[in-house]
Amino acid sequence: MSERDIDRQLVERVRQGDKRAFDLLVEKYWRRLIRLLSRMVRDPDDVQDIAQETFIKAYRALPQFRGDAAFYTWLYRIGVNTAKNYLVAKGKAMPTLSQQALPDEDDGVEERLAVQDVSTPESELLSKQVALAVNEAVENLPEELRTAITLREIEGLSYEEIANLMACPIGTVRSRIFRAREAIAAKLRPILGTSEDKRW
Amino acid sequence: MQPNPSVPLQATGQDDDGLSALFDGELSDAQGAALIRRLSEDDRLGGRWSEYSVIGDALRGTAYSSGRFRARLRSALAQEPTLLAPVRRPVRSHPALWLSAAATVAAVTWMVLGAAPGDPTAVEFAARPADVNVSPYLAAHQDYAQALTANAEMRFMPVKLAIAETPR
Repeated sequence: MSERDIDRQLVERVRQGDKRAFDLLVEKYWRRLIRLLSRMVRDPDDVQDIAQETFIKAYRALPQFRGDAAFYTWLYRIGVNTAKNYLVAKGKAMPTLSQQALPDEDDGVEERLAVQDVSTPESELLSKQVALAVNEAVENLPEELRTAITLREIEGLSYEEIANLMACPIGTVRSRIFRAREAIAAKLRPILGTSEDKRW
Repeated sequence: MQPNPSVPLQATGQDDDGLSALFDGELSDAQGAALIRRLSEDDRLGGRWSEYSVIGDALRGTAYSSGRFRARLRSALAQEPTLLAPVRRPVRSHPALWLSAAATVAAVTWMVLGAAPGDPTAVEFAARPADVNVSPYLAAHQDYAQALTANAEMRFMPVKLAIAETPR
């Protein structure tokens, strides 16, 4: 079952009245959406407003979503159009394609600000603590777990590709990635104030 | 090699191990479908899903948000009505369905006269060609069909329904 199949099934559950399934889709894609919107809109607060409007529009339009495109592609299109309308309303021009394609020195700053809750120093501190905790946890992993999680999350390789690279069965890759995630999550929970048993 | 005490050696449950694989799109269709059903109902699995998102984003350098955006969005979505899309039913070739489709098409071609009294002229009305398949549309929306309503001022004029013969 591919990620696209997962999204399609979650969409179907939303259409059958399961709002929590939409929550799972939001959880999966909201940071990525904000990262993309930050390329078009500079103000981090505006980016969050546009992202929120995008998700609301997507939720309302789900009955019309046919699944021809991947859910994220469809969501991204809604986001781009929402951002365009926002910029037009403010009398601003959309960034040109060349501007979007070229990374600049500040690349990622607006995105980081938009994802963070910049309104408080506490939220900025929390963001740094999370990043530190994750990186430390990864560094403390046994090498085979660290390699597996890095190849999966950063390089985006499939389990099969990782298994070939690491010369081990796919089941071993699956187990290593799971154990790496559990070890990292255990370090995160005290910082985030979450527990194993609760939804966020 | 000595086991690392900070790393769990065994999965806490098959669901957790499966959830990690589902998150990566690496489960079989059957296993994935079953787990997705549970995912939106089980708080523990839902919490894990969120954790895996945060971990992946942190590794890729995306900053963590304390959740103000998510809290705002959750609150906004809570005010949205629950979606109930028409159920897609399999379309079967069935004479009874054709008859009901034809009857519905015929029914909606009745002309409603609200203003011009006393004109008994029958009106020829070209119906939809017989080979157009309206079954999928009707099948999907039969649960939402609204009866025609009328009030005392409306007069219904019968029409002669002419179904165009399409050459086969």
